[in-house]
Amino acid sequence: MTPEHISHEQADEFAIGAMAPDVRTYVAFHIDSCASCAEIVRESEEAAAALLLAVPRRQPPGRLRENVLRSAGIRKAGPIGRIVQVATASAGVAAVIVAIASFTGMVSVRDQMNGLREENGRLQTQIDDALSQKVEILALTREVQEQEQLTNDLKTASRGDRDLILALSSPNASVAEVITVDPNQVAIGRLVWDAEQKKVWFIAAHLPQRPNGETYQIWVNSGGRYVSLGTFNTDVSGFARYETFVPQGLASYESAVVTIEHANGALERSGPSVFVSDLSRLRR
Amino acid sequence: MPLAAGAAARTEWTDEALMHAIAARDEIAFGVLYDRYVDLVYSASLRVLGDPQLAEDATQDIFVRLWRRPESFIPDRGRFLSWLMSVVRNRAVDELRARGRRQRREATVTTSEGEDDQVSLIPSGEGDDPILAAQLHEEQVLVRKALAELPAEQRMALELAYFGGLTQQQIAVALHEPLGTVKTRIRLGMLKLRRSLGGQVRD
Repeated sequence: MTPEHISHEQADEFAIGAMAPDVRTYVAFHIDSCASCAEIVRESEEAAAALLLAVPRRQPPGRLRENVLRSAGIRKAGPIGRIVQVATASAGVAAVIVAIASFTGMVSVRDQMNGLREENGRLQTQIDDALSQKVEILALTREVQEQEQLTNDLKTASRGDRDLILALSSPNASVAEVITVDPNQVAIGRLVWDAEQKKVWFIAAHLPQRPNGETYQIWVNSGGRYVSLGTFNTDVSGFARYETFVPQGLASYESAVVTIEHANGALERSGPSVFVSDLSRLRR
Repeated sequence: MPLAAGAAARTEWTDEALMHAIAARDEIAFGVLYDRYVDLVYSASLRVLGDPQLAEDATQDIFVRLWRRPESFIPDRGRFLSWLMSVVRNRAVDELRARGRRQRREATVTTSEGEDDQVSLIPSGEGDDPILAAQLHEEQVLVRKALAELPAEQRMALELAYFGGLTQQQIAVALHEPLGTVKTRIRLGMLKLRRSLGGQVRD
């Protein structure tokens, strides 16, 4: 990388999210203080953002709007709204009782009522303030919990990435090609086995996402007997990364196959095949 | 000004004007901006995450953050829509990396009960602007055409990076291709995409 300025190529890599984290940090730092590079990155980000604009439109559930407004603290939550109503009504009743008592005691009803109205107003303001603070605290608490959860998830995902990278760089790891059964299918994939971690990874791209009620299932075969290694699905981009432990290793298996089965997976292989892989051709 | 009339007036505002109003805590402006982009944000989140529930959570999170921290958007650094898409992509990819491990959130205080006795502060659906919708649709068609013109391997490299959250190194490993090949595909893909879209995307 040029120590001073960022090339168009680097700006593209930054915008598309393909840059290694340490280089990305450098670029982010640099564009904060370099207007010309920031402009180059902005142009790249405009092009990258277009990828999302091409996505087919789907309508979110109707409840989402209500949830967003409430989470943002714009709309009061149900139970809290009711507390306000009850508090207001209680204050009103109290005012009437005190006013009657004042009348019987020959005290000026009007003065008492005015005083009580003012008191009611102050109480109402305090109630509103307290409720606003409560909503804000709930929102902040929830945000903290989400961040903690996200941090834990990222740590877990990072460990998964690290394991795969370790496997791919390990002398004990081997890779097998997988072949699509349908020649018209553009899906591609690889099967990675790490004898040290006793883990197998299956990575695929351009594999159509299964609809509800269906899943992909990966099997290994020994003498015609198929053992399931689990089920997975792709994301909408057709990308999948599935990993699982195989304590017994892959040495005793001849081949692996990916089939389409009903949701939750099948006990016996029954659906059509998508991928096959010759495990005897696992290579380092 | 009545709420409905206030929302109707704001539907003609630009994104940047709405964000300015949101920074001044204009709840109606927030409602209009939400209605203008919720479909796009949700669809884009769904494209990355592939799970309607996770996409809904991400969409909610994005809009709530937008309301709480509108200053995150800096107009001098580009148009609102690109910034929003960048936020969506980053939020969804973060979620994607945690996918499969994250437990569904429990029902929050915002979805528990008593929804039908609440008074809406913001009229729903008043953010719809047929002119803007037509512009967005036109832009969507343009981008789809540009993407369709890319060679499959270039498009895949871009999608694995942008939608899959993979670095070039990770893409090279996943595809069993040299790193240089992946870098070239991304460079050429972005170059063609930019040329196809150059000057035609809505400003």
